[in-house]
Order: sequence, then structure tokens, then C-alpha cells
Amino acid sequence: MRDIFKLSLFLLVVAGISGAGLSYVNSLATPLIAEQIRQNKIDSFKEVYPQSDKVENESAVYLKDAHDPALKEVNIAYRGGMPAGVLYAVETKGYSGTISILAGFDIADSRITAIKVLSQTETPGLGAKAKDRFFQDRYKDKNTTLPLEVTKTAPVKDNQIQAITASTITSKAVTKGVNAAREHFNATFGAGKKQ
Amino acid sequence: MQEYFIIIISAVFINNIVLSQFLGICPFMGVSKKLSASIGMGGAVSFVLVVAGFITWALNTYLLTPLGIGYLQTIAFILVIASLVQFVEMVIKKFSPSLYKALGIYLPLITTNCAVLGVAIINIQKEFSLGKVMVHSLSHAAGFTLALVLMSGIRERLEDADIPESMRGVPIALIVAALMSISFLGFSGLI
Amino acid sequence: MSLANEFTKGIIRENPLFRLLLGMCPALAVTTSVDNGLGMGVAFSVVLLASNIVISAMRSIIPNSVRIPAYIVIVATFVTMIDLLMHAFTPALYTALGIFIPLIVVNCIILGRAEAFSGKNPVIPSIMDALGMGVGFTLALVLVSAFREVLGAGTFFGQTILPENIPAIMMILPPGGFITLGCLLAILNKIQKKTA
Repeated sequence: MRDIFKLSLFLLVVAGISGAGLSYVNSLATPLIAEQIRQNKIDSFKEVYPQSDKVENESAVYLKDAHDPALKEVNIAYRGGMPAGVLYAVETKGYSGTISILAGFDIADSRITAIKVLSQTETPGLGAKAKDRFFQDRYKDKNTTLPLEVTKTAPVKDNQIQAITASTITSKAVTKGVNAAREHFNATFGAGKKQ
Repeated sequence: MQEYFIIIISAVFINNIVLSQFLGICPFMGVSKKLSASIGMGGAVSFVLVVAGFITWALNTYLLTPLGIGYLQTIAFILVIASLVQFVEMVIKKFSPSLYKALGIYLPLITTNCAVLGVAIINIQKEFSLGKVMVHSLSHAAGFTLALVLMSGIRERLEDADIPESMRGVPIALIVAALMSISFLGFSGLI
Repeated sequence: MSLANEFTKGIIRENPLFRLLLGMCPALAVTTSVDNGLGMGVAFSVVLLASNIVISAMRSIIPNSVRIPAYIVIVATFVTMIDLLMHAFTPALYTALGIFIPLIVVNCIILGRAEAFSGKNPVIPSIMDALGMGVGFTLALVLVSAFREVLGAGTFFGQTILPENIPAIMMILPPGGFITLGCLLAILNKIQKKTA
């Protein structure tokens, strides 16, 4: 009986020391991790909507009565105190998992400024190319009036997006996500609805 | 309902724990020489995996998260799994000596089976509800057993095949696993 | 002489991956690029070194009957520390390695070294043992990932070295991991037979 007591006491001491050590390392690392996540977010925002003074998450206001489950976040980019752009975080189902995308829209011109694939689990070498610059650039400066369509050949109309070779499902998924954001943008910030 | 169905298909076939996630390779290579042994191992792992999935979820939801000590997750989970394996071993030994004889040698190996800890961590990362945790763990357990049983079926036949000497044993088993993994790739895009 | 021996044995003669067939899960999962393989190897080596030192220093006070749980707690502590530090300082690598960082804790090599070596030997040889095993495992990971990255993506450390149409994507998909490791093991078997 004494043995069991001694053994458990020993394990308890070991666990206590390791817990103390961990909580110390954790207290050092947590602010760094938080800072780096924040910085990451700011960088992504800058990438899809470059000219802004500050970006505010206003999902609470704009997603109150939005029914599309693809829409995750609405961030408003301010320039000179006025809302100038909208940054949508959307999620969509790709070939092998969820793709999350950040899509930027310019309010004055009703156009897409840029998109950025934040995370994806698509096939490396195929659908994973969705996160490459060349594909994301195909969405740049598209007008928001018409729904975007995916084509397998070079686009002839403004609302067409050329798919990644051999990855039509991924391309369609990304386009679907951007379209969800586009519809919400048109309904909320489109011509004549500016706040 | 559809969500559950997607979890099942994805865990058993598309993201098969052995053939596409690379978890639990050691028992997959070590215990897949005989069909009977692989069924025993599959059963033992499945049992521990599902029970561990439940306990680690409860531990995380009711203890680690409320106390804000999520960083102790790894250490807490591995201790839970290690004690669970011990406990299961003792219970089986006491109540069913014949089952213990069949599973006994595999049980201690399960502690260091990354499939168990891996699934427990994925459960938490995906922020599953209890129902989904159970379905997810069960499906991964089924996927593990499926891969192991298929593999042992092939390896039993390989015994009689004429294989170059330096390929014998683990190398050829890895090549077989590669071919199985290729066929499982065909499942992606199913959902 | 013997200290050097403790170091070199892990690199070739008892290479944890190629000779002892331990740690196959990370060796297959994270070796899609040399960056990831090297990162995993370094993270693993740091944990192995730290836990080998602590376990060896405590070897006389750890009661024999609870040594395994004690080892697990020590290893898990260092793994969690590495996990937090990588999250803070190398976020890209942290995302790429994902779940395989916490899974270092169940890597059979570390518990295996504790059981076979550092639990019985003084600190200095244990350090050499950990360094040797760490370097051996890292080299093995880099070798596997070099094959996979060059053949699968046509790049090496992210630099393109093969023309666009040559790489076979299969090599960086899961089957490529099994094929590469299988072939490497077969080749090593062959070499060993010749020299023996």
C-alpha cells in the first residue's frame, strides 16, 4: 500500500513539474501566436483589398439575415472614414474538402479587387493550384453584375473564369464561393444601395 | 443526416486512416502477415479508438476548455489512452481469458499507435459534437480494420510468391500498400 | 571511441527508419517536400535530445514500475513545448506538419530510446545517442522527401529543377510515400547484402 502511495506521489510530482514548465512556455508563446495570427489576417486583407486605412469585421451587421451558409465573415475596408471595399470570407466544398477563400470587392466600381485562397485540401499538383497566384488573378477586376462562370477554354466574356487544367471541380467550387459573396455584395452594396 | 453520411464515407474510404493519413503504419506493417491476427488487431484498435475518442472529447469539453488549459491536450490525451489500454487489458484478462489470449499481445502496442491519438486530436480540431465524435471514431476504426484485413489477405498470398530477395518482407509490403493507396485514391471526389 | 560510436550507430548501422523500421508514420506523411522533411526531422531531434537528457539524468530516481508513464509525461511535455514554439515562430511549417507535431509523442523511436538507452546510461552517452538517432532520422526523412519532391513536383527545396511535364504527381500523393520508402528499403537491403 505504501508503495502505491509513493509511486503515485512520484508521478504526481513529475506531472506537476511538467505542468508548471508547460504553463510557463505557454504564457510566453500565446501572445506571439495571437500576434502572428492577427498579422496574417491583416496581410491577407491587404492582399485582396490594398487601399484601405483600416478593416473592421462587421459580420454581425451584414450577416444578420443572410441565409447563404457559404458566407462566413463580412469585413468592411474603410478609406478616409468611408466604407470603400468589402472583404468576404467564404467557405465552399471542393474536390476533397473545404476551401476557404477571402474575396475583396470595391464598392465604387462594383468589381472584384482580388481573391485569396486561405486554406484548402485539394489534390497537390492539381486542385491545389487554386492557391497559386495565376489562378487567383483570373478573378481580378471582374464586374459583379453577372454571375461568374467556369470555362475550360480561354475566356471570351468578362464573366468567364478559365478553369485550372484537369481541376474543373476545384475551379467551380472556388467560383461558387466567390459568386455567393458577389450576390450578397450586389444585394447589400450594389449600385444605388450605398450607405 | 447527410453530414453523418459524409463523415462516414470520408473517414472509411477517402481519408482512410492508414492509406491516406498515414496513421497507424506500425501495426499495419507489423501485424498484417496473418488474416486472423489482423482481425484481432483491428478489433482491439477499434475498441480503444472509439472509447478513447469519447473520453478525450469529454475531457476536452468539460475540463481542458473550461479551465483554459488547452495546451495540456497532448499530455492529457496520451495519459488517458495509456491508462485506458492498461484498464482494457486488465478487464479483458479478468472476464474473458480466451479473448485476452487472442488480443493480449496487441493491447500494449496500441498505446503507441498514432491512429488512436491522431483521431482523438482530429475530433477536437474539427470541433465535432459528441454524436459526430462517435461516428467519426467508429468510421476511422472501420477504415483501419478494413485496410488491415485487405492487406493481410494479400500478404498471405505473397508468402508463396517468388519475390526478389531484397524486396522480401517490409519493402514489398510497402509497395502493396502503395497499390492499395492508389486504388483508394479513386474514392476521392465521391462526396 | 565509444562516445563516437554511440553517435554514429544511429546514422547508418541502427538508422531508426531504414534499419529499425520505426517512425514510419511521419516518414510517409510529411515527406512531400524537403522543407517539411527537414523541419520534422529537426523538431523530432530536439524532442529526442531533451527527453533523453532528462530521462537519463533522472534514471536513478524513476521507480522501475512506473517508468513508462513517467517517460510518456516527460516526452509529452517536450512535444507540447515544441508544438507551442513552432506555432509561434515557424507558422508555415507548423501548418504543413499539422497533426504530426503532437504525434511525435507516440513516435516509437523516442520511447524506444528511453527504454533501450537513456533509462540505463549516463547523460553524456545519452546525448550522443540522441544526436546520432536524431541526425539519422532527419537524414532518412530528407532522403525520402528529396526523392518525392524531385519526382513528384519537379522541385528541390522549392526551386524548380525539372521541366513542367516530367514530374508524376503520384509521388507527392499518399501512394508515392509508400513506393519511395519501399524502394529505398529494398535498395538498402541489396547494398547491405553485397557488403556483408
